[in-house]
Amino acid sequence: MSSTDNKESVLPARRRARAGEGIGVLLLRRLRDGIITLLLVVAVIFVLAHVVGDPALVFSPVDASDEEVERIARAFGLDRPFWERFGSYFADIFTGDFGESWWQNRPALAAVAEALPNTIYLTLAGIAGAALTGIVGGVFAGSRPGSLFDRGSNFFSISALSVPNFWLGLLFIVIFSVQLGWFPTSGMFGVSSIVLPALTIAVVHGGRVFQLVRSATVEEMSKPYVRVARSKGFPHRMVLWRHVLRNTGLTTATIAGWEYVRLWGGAVFAIEWVFAWPGIGTLTINAAERQDFFVLQAAVIIAGVFVIVSNLVVDLLYRVIDNRIKSS
Amino acid sequence: MKKTHKRAVPWLMASIIVVFGLLAASCASDGDADAALIEARGAQASAEAAAAAAAAADTRAVAADSRAAAAEAAAEEAESAAKLAQATAQEAVAAAAGNVDEIAAAQQAVRDAEEALADASRRATAAEDQAAAAQAAAAEAQAALEEVLASQAAAPPPAAPEPADTGMAMNTDEIVIAITTEPNTLDAQKVVDRASRVFTGNVFESLLVRDKDAKLTAGLATDWGNVDETTWEFTLRDGVTFHDGSPFNAASAAYSINRIIGEDFETQRGSYVNNIVGAEPAGDNKINVTTDGPNAILLLQVAQIPMVPDGAGDEIGESPVGTGPYRFVAWERGQSISAEINPDYWGDAPSIASLVLRVIPDAQTALAALQSGEVNLVLDILPEQVPLAPKAVSVAATEYSYIAFNTYKEVLSLPEVRIAMNMAIDKELIAETIYEGYARPNQAQHLSPGSLGFNPDIEAFPYDPEGAKELLVAAGYPEGFTVTLNIPIGRYPRAEEAGRIIAQQLRDIGLDVDFRLWEWNEYRSAGRIPGTEEGALDLKFGWNSNEWFDGARTRSHVTCGASSSKICDEYVTEQFEIGGTNVDQEVRAEAYRNAWARLHENPHAIYLLQQDLIYGMSSNLEWEPRLDDEYYVSEMSYS
Repeated sequence: MSSTDNKESVLPARRRARAGEGIGVLLLRRLRDGIITLLLVVAVIFVLAHVVGDPALVFSPVDASDEEVERIARAFGLDRPFWERFGSYFADIFTGDFGESWWQNRPALAAVAEALPNTIYLTLAGIAGAALTGIVGGVFAGSRPGSLFDRGSNFFSISALSVPNFWLGLLFIVIFSVQLGWFPTSGMFGVSSIVLPALTIAVVHGGRVFQLVRSATVEEMSKPYVRVARSKGFPHRMVLWRHVLRNTGLTTATIAGWEYVRLWGGAVFAIEWVFAWPGIGTLTINAAERQDFFVLQAAVIIAGVFVIVSNLVVDLLYRVIDNRIKSS
Repeated sequence: MKKTHKRAVPWLMASIIVVFGLLAASCASDGDADAALIEARGAQASAEAAAAAAAAADTRAVAADSRAAAAEAAAEEAESAAKLAQATAQEAVAAAAGNVDEIAAAQQAVRDAEEALADASRRATAAEDQAAAAQAAAAEAQAALEEVLASQAAAPPPAAPEPADTGMAMNTDEIVIAITTEPNTLDAQKVVDRASRVFTGNVFESLLVRDKDAKLTAGLATDWGNVDETTWEFTLRDGVTFHDGSPFNAASAAYSINRIIGEDFETQRGSYVNNIVGAEPAGDNKINVTTDGPNAILLLQVAQIPMVPDGAGDEIGESPVGTGPYRFVAWERGQSISAEINPDYWGDAPSIASLVLRVIPDAQTALAALQSGEVNLVLDILPEQVPLAPKAVSVAATEYSYIAFNTYKEVLSLPEVRIAMNMAIDKELIAETIYEGYARPNQAQHLSPGSLGFNPDIEAFPYDPEGAKELLVAAGYPEGFTVTLNIPIGRYPRAEEAGRIIAQQLRDIGLDVDFRLWEWNEYRSAGRIPGTEEGALDLKFGWNSNEWFDGARTRSHVTCGASSSKICDEYVTEQFEIGGTNVDQEVRAEAYRNAWARLHENPHAIYLLQQDLIYGMSSNLEWEPRLDDEYYVSEMSYS
């Protein structure tokens, strides 16, 4: 395509070199960036936890004497100088020692490892629902802009992504659990438990996927090649599914990946809290409330790893789809 | 028992329609429509057929978002223009076969169209910004809806149909209790927070226990008394065994006490182990407990020391072993803790066979679980949730809200000024409005009838703003003075709302009040700054819970140099010294009565309210809430 060539020639030399590099180089570069990001996250968490509030005070009873608070601080090594604590903290993390949870009396990593699969389970179920509704709805709506379906679904999706997710979750609980009695209100007991939290994610995040897929489809549909194809007499359905869908595939994959990253970035936390889902979010909020620094840190670092890994996967996926388009 | 009521499906559907309606209304009213119209006109003015096609798509996007009729009309126009453009393009394609010039013209048209598209996409971005604005408006609509919902909750429609059957059979062999947070550990000797006690109180027992009137009575000890001023003897109950089959005897009782007072033992029950030196067996069914001086509160301390098997270690935190009416079954982290009836229990067998604690952090979800029958008891529901619960019961808790003075601050040093500030506050009003009647003015002491040391002769300060102003003038502050009212957020129920009323009422008597909200952990740190030092809080909102039912519990708030105290009154400190060291309970009670009488003339705080605890329950659950904030399932039953 001549237009692509034009674009590339405008890019600075560095960018051009990147655009041409292999998937292995991309992977390494991304891994390097990821590790740097992770180190920053680790440092920021530590500083925040030790600047905001005094962990020893939190752990002691409300009317504890100063001696009592000091004794607790000593017991947790909080009386050592800041830099000394910071150094040993980094060293410990690199050896996989995330510390002992003050709150749960067990290794912080064990607490996080227990919650992690539950969050993965929920986010995957949620994002699958979001992608399915968002993509199918978005393509249909975008291919016939202005139709009743387009207007209806557009309105619905705007509404869905305008309400706070926890509020929508509560609404679903009241309708589907309390009134209809179809699903349990909360907790993680059997398969039926996941329906409502996953539905909440599907509606909120599906709404955003829908919006972007729809506008990508609208844009694609108004491109000259579509008009030419249509004027040649190809049926609407064929143009839509054979050409338009493939060309919007890039956008779609990026959006779905992005939404998944958003979930790990905190969107799923409120949903877990509302649905009493024993995942990373509930664990993190509880740990923050109790100033259980080690659990908080382990949970945030693990969530950070997931954000970075998800980004990486999206990037690679993008590259794979892009190559397929180019080669075809 | 409070009124039972539930909303029904149509009611909710109506709510959804309301929120969408508000949303649409707010979108339509924020000028999107005008913008769309102008944009559409601008596009037409360009008169380029291809550009019009792009504008049609663009306008439609905005129109769909804003739901404005005007924009839609503009879109219709633009669409017809688009059709025209398409026709032109097709013509060009058709004619292309014959005429080279026309091909060039068609190509030109296509390039124009592409430019127009780029332009359109820029405007689409602008439209997205508008959508963001619409989203903000939607948040407002959401707030409005919540108000609507709240008012609906307050005044349910008379015709509301019966709620749908949830399809979940109520199991009367089992009680499910919702707790907001998971215990740290199930080792009763280590934890004492409410969520933990719901479990440990049913599985573990102590030598003494409180009865329904909160009086100490026989638990695992049948008899007790002083041998001398520093030695107490307890006679243990015969025939009691732990859940693991080991016997409860002098060895295990002494071990339990020595374990909890151990130097390195991390426990939330720290205040219950002060001044205990140790315990040792005195025969097979007697133990002696020694204290490091006359210890007036030993009995209430002992009531808070759960008994564990001889030699028990950290493993009882994961798999607890006690002597209680229920024995541990399983703990699923983050989810639930379960227990079943102990067939070998020494006392009366409970009527409910098993107990499950479910962790539900969100208060609204807990209420929904109660409504759907998944849980049978929710601790600590909010006043506005009461109409939604199948059944609600409440009890006047030994919890007292107050605003502590920093009496070391010059303007707050005169008792008259502090009395004036007490008289400035309409406590009834706060109880009735902010706490919806689930609170009452406290009798100007952190004690209530039934607690040791309660002084029935003290009355709450009357609400008398005029009298307060006169007192201020007499004290030499006719112009008032500046003072900061400090309130923590997210800690005490509705502290902020109550605080705002208080700030206003203090302004009404002429004070210049700074209102300051704090994050809890910062607040705690600031609250510990001694009154004489820089940064000490002038007026500090607090909430004192007296789970000891004893004047001794209030010591740290009112005596010279105590951790939470910003007052130093020699007489009060002296009386608390008597109360804390004398083992004659009548002498103690007299000392505390004297101290609180003095603290009425020389107030350490604006005395506010005694708060209620409210519980939501299944409609067939029978239970009388206890004064001592314990949750013994053996006292619960189904009707």
